[in-house]
Amino acid sequence: MTRTSAPGVRVKDLTVVYKTPAGELPALGGVSLSLAPGTITGIVGESGSGKSTLALSLLNAVQPPGRIKEGSVEIDGLGNVVELTGEELRRARGRQVGYVFQAAQNSLNPLKTVGKQLLDLGRSHDFDDLPALLKDARALLGRMGLDGGRVLDSYQHELSGGMRQRVGIMFALVLNAHLVVLDEPTTALDMITQAAILKIVRDVHHERGLTTLIITHDMGVAAEVTDSLAVMYGGRVVEHGPTTEVLGSPRHPYTKGLIRAIPRLSGDIDEARALPGRPPTLGTIPKQGCVFRERCPLRIAVCDTVDPEPVTRDARTVACHAVGHLATPVVPKEYV
Amino acid sequence: MKTVVRRLSGHLARGLAMIWVVTTLSFVIIRNIPGDPVRGQYEKLIEQGMSPDAAERATAALYGFLPKGSLWSQYVDYLNGLLHGNLGQSLSTPGTGVATIIGSAAKWTILPVLGGTLLSFLLGVTLGVYAAIKRSGKLGDALAISGSLLHGIPQYVIGLLVVAVFSTLWPILPAGGPVDIDFTPGFNGPYIASLIQHATLPVLTYALASYGGWILAMKSSVATVLGDDFIMAAELRGMSRGILFRYIARNAILPLFTILALSLGLLFGGAIFIESIFNYPGLGLLLVNSIGARDYALMGGTFLVLTVAIVVANIAADLLYAVIDPRVRKGAEA
Repeated sequence: MTRTSAPGVRVKDLTVVYKTPAGELPALGGVSLSLAPGTITGIVGESGSGKSTLALSLLNAVQPPGRIKEGSVEIDGLGNVVELTGEELRRARGRQVGYVFQAAQNSLNPLKTVGKQLLDLGRSHDFDDLPALLKDARALLGRMGLDGGRVLDSYQHELSGGMRQRVGIMFALVLNAHLVVLDEPTTALDMITQAAILKIVRDVHHERGLTTLIITHDMGVAAEVTDSLAVMYGGRVVEHGPTTEVLGSPRHPYTKGLIRAIPRLSGDIDEARALPGRPPTLGTIPKQGCVFRERCPLRIAVCDTVDPEPVTRDARTVACHAVGHLATPVVPKEYV
Repeated sequence: MKTVVRRLSGHLARGLAMIWVVTTLSFVIIRNIPGDPVRGQYEKLIEQGMSPDAAERATAALYGFLPKGSLWSQYVDYLNGLLHGNLGQSLSTPGTGVATIIGSAAKWTILPVLGGTLLSFLLGVTLGVYAAIKRSGKLGDALAISGSLLHGIPQYVIGLLVVAVFSTLWPILPAGGPVDIDFTPGFNGPYIASLIQHATLPVLTYALASYGGWILAMKSSVATVLGDDFIMAAELRGMSRGILFRYIARNAILPLFTILALSLGLLFGGAIFIESIFNYPGLGLLLVNSIGARDYALMGGTFLVLTVAIVVANIAADLLYAVIDPRVRKGAEA
């Protein structure tokens, strides 16, 4: 049952809604995204763009009051995760899909040592050879520059943020899952620790032959480790393609705006231009038309009524009426 | 181990200080009640024809301290007697030491109170977890409502209701006394069966009186823990339901240990009502009777024992807390 090679993932027309007093509001509006086997895919976007909801959907773990309304998440070796329930779903989690939480989050039971929680994990997944599991965990922790034996004997409150995050990665990998989802793995870590964690993610990815998905709002993180990059806005993937191309020659006006907003290390700080306006919240996502039109410099009449379909060309997918179907992007107006 | 000893010694020091305060207060109060029972007893004995010396000795034996001399020297004598385990003599049952009377009454209070509290704690905590998990369903609502309802009824009302239902309307259990006098005391079947029969209603009353509080406290504690990140993390790692349940329960139960210690103290206070209702010869009934008989030595002794019980319960809860929560344990080392 456990795969030894990296699985591919195909998300199709995924719609996730959250139940609110104002009715069911879409957090994801028909997202389609493929993760090629053995690649690191990044998802960037502002808070509320639906990145975390998408990540949780890969484990069919959207938390109430949210639910997956339609669409499918096909993972090689698992089938359509959306249709998994009960024990089947539980066993897929951890065993086949590893999930790493935000560094700032407390993802460990404060009352038990790391080692005891590891044994709980082993028993939950019917591991007979628990000593071997502990040995694997020690080796993984050692690989990440920690003293494995000591960490396994520690409680959460005895570990630093960077150590906790490595323990989180260990938990995601120790059952030999080949699809790993990292939700903002370096948020709230200092720059040195962040660099160390990213290096570990990249190295372990290659060593173990994983398919990796990294959720981040940090373009620097995305540029450093990902092979391909998806940009999300208002519950949609607006642009997806090889990372170097998406960052080097962005096509969607939102991606362009995002990249222009990054301050450079050298040069005038005023060269960085903030994107005008605010991102939509769950309640203010337009019911029809393009979700980005209010902030878009390329807005045309059709944007008000028709949600642009993602168009794929040369491994690049862009959802924009103004540029999606054009061979060469139109010259954008200056941002104000 | 060293930290346990250090924690324990700190608790003991504080506990002893508290006990000292209570003994001092009860000494001062007994000495200052209008009519001065000590002097009254002394004068009564003289009126009965005793010589002043004999009366003084008799009063001293009764209260554990001499009625003569300054208040200060009497106080020192009283404390000295306490340190030697001498609580004085009972007024209402002449010739019997207060310590003996309290000793024989204590078991009738401690066992039912502990039994009732543990029963309601286990029941309330377990059901509280379900009430929290199913809080949007009918079962959760029903449990929470039962908790609020029972929590709102004073325990003496619950005691009377229990008697009305199980001894009057539906007479299956005895309403009073600790045991049927027909049976020979000792380790034999009928005697023990009778003991259990008689203890059932008082224990049930203690349990019902505190059950509501537990279920409500546990429900809100579990609801908080359910929102914690590590529970979702464990879920996404595919932890089994049993392990998840234990993670939730153990984290949620922590704040309840403090309440447990405090409630044990309160229940000993509640024993006054419940033992009166069931005519159960425990410390509560003893206290009521000693007040009625103006048996000040017995009153002082009973107060002392109740204080010690509460202090001990608090220390035990705190030590237990340290065993369960590694953060507290390490905190003491730092």
